[in-house]
Amino acid sequence: MYAAQVAQAAFDRVDDLESRLSRFRPQSEIQCIARLLPGQSLRLSEDTFDCLTLARKMEQATRQAFSPTPAALQSQATLPGWSLSPADLSIRCEHGLVNFDLGAIGKGFALDRLAALLRQWECPSFLLIAGGSSIIAGDTPDGFDGWSCGLGDEGAPHRLLLNNASLSGSGVAVKGNHILNPRTGGSAHRQSRAWALCDVAAESDALSTAAMVLPEPELTDVLASEPTWLVLVEDDSQIRTIGKHPVTL
Amino acid sequence: MVKPLNRREFLGATVAGATLLLNSCKSTPEAKPAVARTSPHDVIQVALVGYGEEGKVLLESLLNIEGVRVVALCDIWEYHRNEGLRYLQKLGNDVRGYEDFEDMLSKEKGLQTAVIATPDFVHAPMTNASLKAGLHVYCEKMMSNTIEGARSMVQTMRETGRLLQIGHQRRSNPRYLFTLNRLLREAQFCGRVTAAQAQWNRAVKEDFGFPKKYEIPAAQLAKYGYKDMHQFRNWRWYKGLGGGPLSDLGAHQIDIFNWWLGTPTSVIASGGLDYYKNHDWYDNAMVIYEYPMAQGVARAFYQVQTTTSAGGGYFETFMGDDGTIKMSEDPSLCAIYREARATGVSWDDLAQKGYVRLNQSATDDASKVDVRETAQLAEYDIPVFFNKPPHQPHLENFFNAMRGTARLNCPADEAFSSEYVIHKANEAIEAQKKLIITPEEVKA
Repeated sequence: MYAAQVAQAAFDRVDDLESRLSRFRPQSEIQCIARLLPGQSLRLSEDTFDCLTLARKMEQATRQAFSPTPAALQSQATLPGWSLSPADLSIRCEHGLVNFDLGAIGKGFALDRLAALLRQWECPSFLLIAGGSSIIAGDTPDGFDGWSCGLGDEGAPHRLLLNNASLSGSGVAVKGNHILNPRTGGSAHRQSRAWALCDVAAESDALSTAAMVLPEPELTDVLASEPTWLVLVEDDSQIRTIGKHPVTL
Repeated sequence: MVKPLNRREFLGATVAGATLLLNSCKSTPEAKPAVARTSPHDVIQVALVGYGEEGKVLLESLLNIEGVRVVALCDIWEYHRNEGLRYLQKLGNDVRGYEDFEDMLSKEKGLQTAVIATPDFVHAPMTNASLKAGLHVYCEKMMSNTIEGARSMVQTMRETGRLLQIGHQRRSNPRYLFTLNRLLREAQFCGRVTAAQAQWNRAVKEDFGFPKKYEIPAAQLAKYGYKDMHQFRNWRWYKGLGGGPLSDLGAHQIDIFNWWLGTPTSVIASGGLDYYKNHDWYDNAMVIYEYPMAQGVARAFYQVQTTTSAGGGYFETFMGDDGTIKMSEDPSLCAIYREARATGVSWDDLAQKGYVRLNQSATDDASKVDVRETAQLAEYDIPVFFNKPPHQPHLENFFNAMRGTARLNCPADEAFSSEYVIHKANEAIEAQKKLIITPEEVKA
């Protein structure tokens, strides 16, 4: 009974986040932001503000290889300008149309929120999966070394044991060449798969997309300043790591 | 020739016009106090009473409204109360928290209004006490879990001269106001309204639970009227606390029936507690009201299901011999349709006036003179959108009424007629027969 109610609370939380962050809901905050004209501001809920704050952080950390407005250059000359005000949780449209698409960070952000909810309900041992591309693991169950998660297709030989960590993957094998390079408006650089391992699921979600976009020297440079991040890339069915975070495959 | 308006001008004009038209339609305007003690420049001091699901929704809108400040937050559950206080304090609000409503009322001397979002059974006592303390009140629907409770709220509103707005937020929704006043009334878009249909269906879900460490002690629950924690979290399902799905979900939409069609003369209904075994109230209901219209009876069917989300979400449809209007708080569900026989006013006329908007993408191909696949049919929609949470306009109307710059869009005496016929639907299910509703009994 308690487990079912925890699960229901988690699903209700997902619905709530979806209603705020989805670009497919006409009344979502993301859609309200898309209707702002330059100079106009909008106060946001704490969830939306926090998600956009993380998106801005990841945009900067990945040198715009991840962007919450990935398709902007397909319709605008420059990426839109927007600023956040922590004092009143508002966003201001500086220039352009702020058409957010949180597809490369929203699922991870939702996982982080659900993990917090589960801990509040005193259920610290969990594994949550969003859409098959992001996973967050809580405490490891007694008697195990971690939550065993495969990299890639079912039965993949490479597995990670996760404990209070998040793993996200991006690639073109399932949905085709859908990942955009926000810096050019064109397709992403990498044509295989990439995974990101972080403490925060929103970060791993965004970083796995950025890893598809960034040329490897630049990706290596980005990861050099983030010791808790690790990227895994697939080359000719072999997986290798980029970054300082120690991991055993 | 009608001068076309751009969207911005159009919205401003129609919302203002709609408000004036609506006000002119109020049945007993003298009974509704509209002058408050605040000056237009005062910051209105608000107590938010109840920080559950609805309280959280209302707070997000309250935070958007200039000149309004939440200074007190009351909730018997520390878990919710502390969450609300944390959020408000994070935003720089000097806010005090209370478990006990009476305690808050006795200590908070600077309050001007209470926004009440508690379970239904405490709406009447909290509203009446607040009004008697000199506060204006915004109270969530249902007004009360009993007709007597709702009637007492209207009575206290009249005795105290304070404002009492009931949270049927669609009554301040610019799209609803525009559609009622421009399309249904002025343009007679539907022609003779012969029927209406509304629904709100939800999928099966678990009852609300609670984190174990935040369980309220039994004695504290009993003090506030709850048998146990499950009942506290799921009060909507229990007689004596709430009114079940017909009042929880149906109240909004049956209120739209009454707002747009008047007061029904009868109700017949069927429903039951057929799926969930640990609740008091019906988990499904189908209701038919009869509304006496100028040209004959219009029947309005309402269904609420809590075992399936089928049927396309939540909406209200008004059907006439010339056309149909489908309304919803979700703008993507709104639609308008014309009957082939409707020739009195053309789509072009309506579009030129700005009463409908042509969906351009559907007509691009139609203008080309070459032969290929059949062109898309022309599509029109309702040209009103607002960039605010759904509850915000209704709260703004309330605060504007406090400042003396507007009249309430849903004062308690008007809301009472909806309240009454919703209670009668539950009564009709139990009685298993058609109940007659007289004009006298729906007046508070």
